[in-house]
Amino acid sequence: MNKRTIGSIVVGVVAVVVVAWIATLGDRRPTVPGEQVMATADVQAAALRTYIKPGDLDEYYLFYSGGHSGQIFVAGVPSMRHIATIPVFTPYPGTGYGFDEETKAMLGGYTWGDVHHPALSKTNGDYDGRWLFVNDNANNRVARIDLRDFKTKQIIGPIPNTMGNHGSSMVTDNTEYALVATRFSVPVPQRYEPVEDYATKYKGAVTGIKIDPNSGEMSIGWQILTPPFNWDLGATGKGPSVDWAFWTSYNAERATGKLEITASQRDRDYVAVVNWRAAERAVREGRGRRISGVPVLDPAEVEGVMYLVPCAKSPHGVDVDPSGEYIICSGKLSPTVTIYSWEKLKKAIDAKAFSGHEDGIPVLDYDQVVVMEVPVGLGPLHTQFDGRGNAYTSLFVESAVVKWKLPPYAPGTDPESLVLQKIPVHFNIGHLVTAHGDTKNPRGDYLVAMNKLSKGRHLSVGPSIPESSQLIDIKTGDRMTMLYEAFTEPEPHFAQLVHRDVLKPIEFYPKEENRNPNAIWSPSEAKVVRNARTRTVEAWVYAIRTYFEPGRIQVQEGDTVIIHITNAEQQQDEIHGFGITEYDKNVVIDPGETKTVKFVADKYGVYPYYCTNFCSALHQEMQGYIEVVPRGMRLTMYDNGEGEMRFERREPALAMAGHEGH
Amino acid sequence: MQTNTLRTGLLVTAAILVAASIFLPLWGMTLVSVQYPEGLRMVVYPTKIVGDITELNLLNHYIGMAEIDEDFFVELDALPILFGAIAVMTAAAAFVRRWWASAVPLAAMTGTAIYGFWSMSRRLYQFGHDLDPNAAIKIEPFTPPMIGEHVIAQFGTYAYFSWGTILPAVAGGIVAYVLWRDLQEHRAAAPGRRELGLLRNPLGVEG
Repeated sequence: MNKRTIGSIVVGVVAVVVVAWIATLGDRRPTVPGEQVMATADVQAAALRTYIKPGDLDEYYLFYSGGHSGQIFVAGVPSMRHIATIPVFTPYPGTGYGFDEETKAMLGGYTWGDVHHPALSKTNGDYDGRWLFVNDNANNRVARIDLRDFKTKQIIGPIPNTMGNHGSSMVTDNTEYALVATRFSVPVPQRYEPVEDYATKYKGAVTGIKIDPNSGEMSIGWQILTPPFNWDLGATGKGPSVDWAFWTSYNAERATGKLEITASQRDRDYVAVVNWRAAERAVREGRGRRISGVPVLDPAEVEGVMYLVPCAKSPHGVDVDPSGEYIICSGKLSPTVTIYSWEKLKKAIDAKAFSGHEDGIPVLDYDQVVVMEVPVGLGPLHTQFDGRGNAYTSLFVESAVVKWKLPPYAPGTDPESLVLQKIPVHFNIGHLVTAHGDTKNPRGDYLVAMNKLSKGRHLSVGPSIPESSQLIDIKTGDRMTMLYEAFTEPEPHFAQLVHRDVLKPIEFYPKEENRNPNAIWSPSEAKVVRNARTRTVEAWVYAIRTYFEPGRIQVQEGDTVIIHITNAEQQQDEIHGFGITEYDKNVVIDPGETKTVKFVADKYGVYPYYCTNFCSALHQEMQGYIEVVPRGMRLTMYDNGEGEMRFERREPALAMAGHEGH
Repeated sequence: MQTNTLRTGLLVTAAILVAASIFLPLWGMTLVSVQYPEGLRMVVYPTKIVGDITELNLLNHYIGMAEIDEDFFVELDALPILFGAIAVMTAAAAFVRRWWASAVPLAAMTGTAIYGFWSMSRRLYQFGHDLDPNAAIKIEPFTPPMIGEHVIAQFGTYAYFSWGTILPAVAGGIVAYVLWRDLQEHRAAAPGRRELGLLRNPLGVEG
């Protein structure tokens, strides 16, 4: 080969390489900032930390809010396995919730709610395992779930003068109050005023829902009327700040229209600092005005109940550190968290160090109360704690959790140096929760990141996709390590992560505790009574493996039918259902429980009822008939002349006649 | 014979490269972040802008960046005309056996390149600086980098030039080479014959 040929080959090869390189440029993927790849050893360690072998139990309960599903999801940590769904604001045929008369009345005709922030009851600032309070952002309600049986026991609301109950339902240190706040201001009391008059005629409100310390019964304690800011998240104080509650706000602009722009103009909005003890006292002293039946305080008139503190910018979460000394607001539109100290706030309040007023509410001088603005990253939303002096803040825009150091800080501390570690999450995290993270004593082992987007992280299920949650170990090596991820239905916001030892749920309802006047405990108590005058049929049904007594209920077309079913089982997991075909009814009765279902028999014919919750080998045989006799035809079942049918005993031989030998 | 065929071939090739570039991407940028692991792309052609433009505009609106909109860019009207004109000039130069013939498309190419790069850096500056003061999130103005890997907020970015820029650059090299050769040839010829020779045989047909 001569030089020329070699030269040509070299030029050719170089040309091909260059062409191939240029062709790949469009596909080249830059490095994702902060991207972390799990090494094989990390994967193995994570697997061991999260694997719960069949038969073993998880260490923590995770109570996820179910968002607009109106439910609470219960999962176990560290396995992240979904264990149960607790229906709260939404009917749930799986447990018959919203089908029986009691739960139907509790739902008050609403078919959905928007659960955002579950809050466990506390004693002395620690979870006591009694109740779980949850808010409804849509219909302005708060519900109480009893953790003895994991059932919704009370729904209060719609709470008057409140619209969009978002900054809720955090509870005070000894469960004196659950918080409520208005996200969407409206005219108060509810009436028509054009939106143009928003800034002057619309009002916000924050409310304390009083909780009976023994029964958990909720009532409205006090309400404070505020300017029409959009109240966002709330938190309760602890330790030195125990008598106080805090809410963040956006839209200090009092704007309407396209809020993404109009409510994002000011560099600082406000944090409300509310003395709930003072509010309680003022209401007791009769200083509240009754509006829509609720004692309402005007903070301009009642001195000392509410102060405002400026905070950058459209802040989202407000969280109080375990000591109760530091109040932390996450900037959302500012890449910072702002830390206030309670000592400084108290001093400024006592010294009346005000920089101005909003509708007569004093605004505390920012410079006198702020400790530090920590540059945590883009889109900070919520903060949780580990009890070792660290805070963990979710970064929505950056899609990460940032760990940073809590005060106290030495003078001249560089704010940048406080940021300790960042871990990417997938994707766009909203809330995060650490074990006992909002109590005085966080456990500091697990953190769950609740992400708003899960695209591509799971098998595709079409366009309507679940949310992702990621479990992060925050203890090992005193750093964050990604462990696992799971998916939930839409859509968890906040959650509570509580150690299993705190809760003492029952296995079934003991018979002796059943106070329902319609409970029956033997088949002989079963009866059907028809009142011809009121055209009402009432049946007391006994359910046990594997029959219903009675096996038939006869009614006249047009009768109102009331059926009380008692599940007489006293054995865990022997749950019976009572579904009525084509009458759109299904109640599910736990062992030892009595439920009532009511409907109008408006179509004649024979409609079987059957056990819907698989109970035993003869579950399929557990059935009966509702005979709806057409108008004008005589009922045959009520033969004692009193319109009453009693069932003295079950006659299986009759039921099986002609089937022997099969 | 051989020389002239080569000259014609080179210039025609250059013309084809420039003409083809009208339909090829000039420049692109790819952005990735944790939540966009698959990446968001923007690819600029002489005639259009393609890629995840809607998504990019949705993200940019938080910081008040102007919308990336094809109608906004006068360049997208000018560039295909300029590229077309250059291709025609280059092809014509193949058949004009004058020492200065290739200088015409080369000058046009240089001018277009200057215009293109000036325009691009102006646009990048403009988009990163003319931010709506009413935007929800206020950021320090910035200039998106024209080439290479960088970090902008939560995004890792990679910007690159593509065929539509590289092929005309190659074409420019070819034309410059032809011009250099023509000049060599022109100088080598006797001073007296310079004008005459080319006049007598303007298409350079030998024989």
